[in-house]
Amino acid sequence: MQVYKAFFKVIQKNRAQILIYLVVFMALALILSGAYNPPQDTDFTKVKVNIAFINDDGDSQLVDGLKTYLGENANLVAIPDDTQKLQDALFFRQVEYILRVPAGFAEDMLNGKEVQLEKTTVPDSTSNIYMDLLINKYLNTVKTYTTYLPGLSQDDLTQYLKKDLVEQSEVTMISNGTHSAYAEKSGYYFNYLSYSLFAILILGVCSVMLVFNDTDLKRRNLCSPIRSASMNMQMVLGNLSFAILTWLVLISASFIMYGSFMFTATGLLLLLNSFVFTLAVLSISYLIGNLVKSRGAMSAIANVFALGTSFISGVFVPQELLGANVLTIASFTPTYWYVKANNEITAAVSFNTDNLSSIFTSMVLVLAFGVAVLGVTLVLIKQKRVEA
Amino acid sequence: MFLFNYRYRLKCIFKDRQLMFWTFMFPILLATLFNLAFANLSSSDNFKKVNVAVVQNEELDQNPAFTQALDGADDLFVVKYTTQDEAAALLSDHDIDGYINFDTDLNLVVNQSGLNQTIIRGFLDDFKQSSSTITTIATQKPSALENGNLEGISSRAEYLKAVSASQSNPDPVVNYFYTLIAMTCLYGGFLGVKEVVAIQADLSDVGARINLAPTNKLTVFLASIMAATTVQLLELLILLAFIIRVLGISFGDQLGYIALTCAVGSLTGVTFGTCIAAIIKKGEGLKIGILIGSTMIMCFLAGMMSANIKYTVMTKAPILGYLNPANLITDSFYALYYYNTHTQFFADILLLCGFTLLFSSVTYFVLRRQKYASL
Repeated sequence: MQVYKAFFKVIQKNRAQILIYLVVFMALALILSGAYNPPQDTDFTKVKVNIAFINDDGDSQLVDGLKTYLGENANLVAIPDDTQKLQDALFFRQVEYILRVPAGFAEDMLNGKEVQLEKTTVPDSTSNIYMDLLINKYLNTVKTYTTYLPGLSQDDLTQYLKKDLVEQSEVTMISNGTHSAYAEKSGYYFNYLSYSLFAILILGVCSVMLVFNDTDLKRRNLCSPIRSASMNMQMVLGNLSFAILTWLVLISASFIMYGSFMFTATGLLLLLNSFVFTLAVLSISYLIGNLVKSRGAMSAIANVFALGTSFISGVFVPQELLGANVLTIASFTPTYWYVKANNEITAAVSFNTDNLSSIFTSMVLVLAFGVAVLGVTLVLIKQKRVEA
Repeated sequence: MFLFNYRYRLKCIFKDRQLMFWTFMFPILLATLFNLAFANLSSSDNFKKVNVAVVQNEELDQNPAFTQALDGADDLFVVKYTTQDEAAALLSDHDIDGYINFDTDLNLVVNQSGLNQTIIRGFLDDFKQSSSTITTIATQKPSALENGNLEGISSRAEYLKAVSASQSNPDPVVNYFYTLIAMTCLYGGFLGVKEVVAIQADLSDVGARINLAPTNKLTVFLASIMAATTVQLLELLILLAFIIRVLGISFGDQLGYIALTCAVGSLTGVTFGTCIAAIIKKGEGLKIGILIGSTMIMCFLAGMMSANIKYTVMTKAPILGYLNPANLITDSFYALYYYNTHTQFFADILLLCGFTLLFSSVTYFVLRRQKYASL
């Protein structure tokens, strides 16, 4: 097993570069699992938009009432009244709506004059429409009261408003079974896994192939007493064990973070899907390994491939946010089908023939990619040998 | 002599294909990928009319006021009138966000909590609340109802006036491209590292040869740095033109200031590289590794992986932002694009100049008068 051993010696020599991608992935996985908490959909909860409420008017029951009302239907975020700080908050979506009550508003409103509040929003956004609805509702109710019951005291007015606005309609939530909180999180984990897997396998396999494909070394090897079939067999074994080892290391953190969830149907399907994907990536790495000629080109290609496929296939940005053209291009990469299957696995509450057949179709496509690329590589190798 | 060296350093840099890939092709590729991936990100929260179904039954027919109100809200909803079963089927296929069932009382049926569902609910609440208002008024002042059935309820006044935050759209996606430019500036450090390696006698043969020549080392080095900065600035301007013209990302319209930021950023990047190369005595691999690692950390803090990081740093630890060249470059573009004043922009540029000065003095003091007992 000299060839097999040599394989891992070369990998050992290149471990620093490979470890970087492992660390990057682990960091991403940890940050994600800490930051993201999917909503639990058992009861209806209204979505609260983050808004900033700035009052340039004096204290009045009317404005207080409005603030309380908005506080119940939106999250009031305290932002200092400074132009740049407000601009920053809106730009980075800390708040999506800034409401400014101008001076003299309460008095003018109660006296029936025409008044307007100033809103600063993300143009055309849904949250903008919703907040408009709420605020206009409040003020129109005030107007109705002041029109029909002139001389109403502010005390009574706020009492009436409170009584009216507490009225709520009933909401029935149809939930189709419970969804584990881990499902969505683990989906992200396995999607991100594709990025590191691509980078690590390309780097590892290429660095070995660069050594073994060196012309002088190759000639020396060919005249060694080891049969070429045995040598090839050991290379195949080396590649396979490297890929499986990488896969094992990459999935290991999922067992620590999600525990027994990984043994449910969802978890096992995710594992199976990632394993199938590993084989396809290995085959692509093998092709690249037979094409690159220098170590510089190797890290360039590893980066371009890992980043490129991840960006267009929905690893970093969800597939539903990508344009149709982008997805069409992406469907020529196995990453697209891998991510698609992952998303379907984690979205499914229960598995039936419909979603299972779709999931397995994706897996078969990924595998087909692997086989096709392997075929191309073998032809290429054959041709090279003939030329040599 | 100066021009001779300058010309040959330019040739050396342009011939280095790996270097050209990382400092030039890679940013362009990344910009393209950003554009492909983020194209729909900002429009994803744009308002689209909410699809809603209403179950047709007797209760609904007896409440024409509700149907009227719903028809009046056609800027919010796309309404379908269906049977109960059909509505349920539409809901489970996600064709509608929810359906309204007028069954003694208003009832909304949904299968998830979202903003669209909240809007439908807000509308239903509104209807109920208005009824309550009418009841209150009717009990307080029965005469009000007699003349014209409370017009105020149906005729809605608009109480909000939009004031835009700045002359530019608050679109967080542009920040990703600004950090990308910051990254490209700092990747100019590759050129800086190359130039230091080429002039240090203990790091390369060319360096040993140059140190033998009877030329002032500072003159030679200045020519190298000028060449590196020229290439870097050229690459940066091409990248900028690509991002603005081809990808259509907005940088505002103050081209002069944008060019100034690029020039200062290039210098900061190149001197950043020379500084790292001068301080770290070990091999070129380690120098490059530290350059990439520190650039990535700085870009992460400037919001390259998630724009929110930049905001968190801005509000929670502003000092960290001012000590981060990548953030300063990003922030300069951000300030030019978004702020109405130039105070922040000039503060950023001044700090960047400060960093450039710091990096070049460190480089200068480490590199000068080095003598070797043996090579």
